[in-house]
Amino acid sequence: MTQPAGKPRKLWTVAEFSTAGALLAAVRAVREHGHQDVDTYSPYPLHGGSEALGLKKSRVPMIAALGALGGVTLGYGVMYYMNAVDFPINVGNRPPHSPPMFIPITFELGVLLSALFIFFGLMLLSRLPQPYHAVFEHESFRSASTHGFWISVAGAPASMDTGKVEADLKALGGTNVATVREEVA
Amino acid sequence: MSAAPEPAAPDLEGAPLILGEHTSESLNKSLLDHVWRKAGPGWWALFLPALGGTGLLAVCITYLLVEGTGVWGNNQPVGWAFDIINFVWWIGIGHAGTLISAILLLFQQKWRTSINRFAEAMTLFAVLCAALYPTLHTGRPWFDYWLLPYPSTLGVGPNFKSPLVWDVFAISTYLTVSFLFWYVGLIPDLAALRDSSPTRRKRIVYGILSLGWRGSGRHWHNYKIAYLLLAGLSTPLVVSVHTIVSFDFATSVIPGWHATIFPPYFVAGAVFSGFAMVVTLAIPARKFLGLRHVITDRHLENMNKVMLATGLIVGYGYLMEHFVAWYGGNQYESWLFFVNRAQGPFHGVYWLMLFCNIVIPQLFWFKKARTNIAWMWIASILINVGMWCERFIIIVTSLQQDYLPSSWDAYSPTWVDWGMYIGTLGFFCTLFLLFLKFLPAVAVSEVKELSHELKAEGSHG
Repeated sequence: MTQPAGKPRKLWTVAEFSTAGALLAAVRAVREHGHQDVDTYSPYPLHGGSEALGLKKSRVPMIAALGALGGVTLGYGVMYYMNAVDFPINVGNRPPHSPPMFIPITFELGVLLSALFIFFGLMLLSRLPQPYHAVFEHESFRSASTHGFWISVAGAPASMDTGKVEADLKALGGTNVATVREEVA
Repeated sequence: MSAAPEPAAPDLEGAPLILGEHTSESLNKSLLDHVWRKAGPGWWALFLPALGGTGLLAVCITYLLVEGTGVWGNNQPVGWAFDIINFVWWIGIGHAGTLISAILLLFQQKWRTSINRFAEAMTLFAVLCAALYPTLHTGRPWFDYWLLPYPSTLGVGPNFKSPLVWDVFAISTYLTVSFLFWYVGLIPDLAALRDSSPTRRKRIVYGILSLGWRGSGRHWHNYKIAYLLLAGLSTPLVVSVHTIVSFDFATSVIPGWHATIFPPYFVAGAVFSGFAMVVTLAIPARKFLGLRHVITDRHLENMNKVMLATGLIVGYGYLMEHFVAWYGGNQYESWLFFVNRAQGPFHGVYWLMLFCNIVIPQLFWFKKARTNIAWMWIASILINVGMWCERFIIIVTSLQQDYLPSSWDAYSPTWVDWGMYIGTLGFFCTLFLLFLKFLPAVAVSEVKELSHELKAEGSHG
């Protein structure tokens, strides 16, 4: 693989496995060897994948709750201020501050902001959109989104013995093993 | 896997959800293939008339904007007619998409997996068509931003106590959330499209759309919960949207509208018509796109069962409306239901509504009818006709003859009304056909996961 000149910030050793089970076994083994910057790549979420990677509980639910709370507060607050304080509107002699009448929009805004928070929270937590990533340097890696199960072990060039990691992954049953580096702009 | 010729049924319910033996690779090929294939004559034969309909819509809207809303047939006392009929009809159709993708996901109904993607697309396009009507009915749509709370120089905000303002928030929230849910579901499949692109240009386009998704385990970790939460949000949302739509009527004092049964009855009607539309679209789509192995007869049968159930709820709604009109002893209400609707100027539409919505779905009690493709396709179209008639009856008959006979007047739609209705049908079909051409019609990533799960279950059992 030809790589552009320049100092790579990080090296990525990738390998493909034929089944999800083999991939997860490899993840556990590699992590036991002391590599923590490990990731999996698969066309669908793997059962037990998060546990194998040792991921902490997702922060998405908290983000969603914040969005919902913000939406509800904003919705009710804006309606109250506009219709009851700033310019009281009297239609059909309903009180300017009429809580039952404010329920629908309060609810809708809670849902709206929660959904937007979930989406942008997901993007932020995943660092997406990210059109370029070092693992894409490996041509066979394309199968990760269609049918392949891939692993990556990453590390700084100084601290990572790529030869050993590659040999380990091969020993665990990995194919298409290669080490790629981030293109430096 | 056993080598038996008959693959074991994956669960107790009978017919398998995915026909035949598939690997991720073969599923990938069969489900994405239609995106890479050149559009056939069948696609063009549908697309060109649909595009013609979109053209008609553009002509009608232009004429409407130049001349004003007077070109529509609605006038006092029938101030609401085709615009609101079609608005409610389209919104209702949209609801099945959310129901299939969100509610069935939460109930872990595995059969939803092959039909959710295009049901969601249907939702989006139907809501777009629906939103067009109230937007234009304001007469001067370039001032529609007045409906939003913004720091206006007039110093006055919108009246948030009006159901019509609730509609603005309900519809825009529904459109946004449906889009996000659909798009989040699409991201892994867009990445699969990117990685199997035959040309560089396609790879770049799908690459941008997929946001650089690489199926990372760390991303899936957050993705799974985000998708589930969006489903959880969509479920009460879909109920709230049609409830708010029904409030447009139920909060008024017009006979035939002023009923507490409206919200549940509208929601059931929405799901009823929406499932009918999914069946109408799924039958030709699965045939032409070669998706029979994932959209199986069992999927269609299940949808027919949902139609039967929601059809019965709608029937109960009709029954209660008439019962309360009689039992309540209000002469205007009972006159409306038993004289105006059943025998009045639009009695034909009324009886057609009862026939399509009450009689037709009863045939789905029989397995023969539930599994006969030709019959269910015709039935699904009749149900949509019936649900359109329902909205026409609710809106027009109540308005044209209410309390004072001196203010009664007849209603008839103009060519612009019909043109816009046909136009939105064309616009909807245009968007749907473009979707079928350029995006995976089935949630590929989810089907792969399901196929993997079913295999795991099969080997354990």
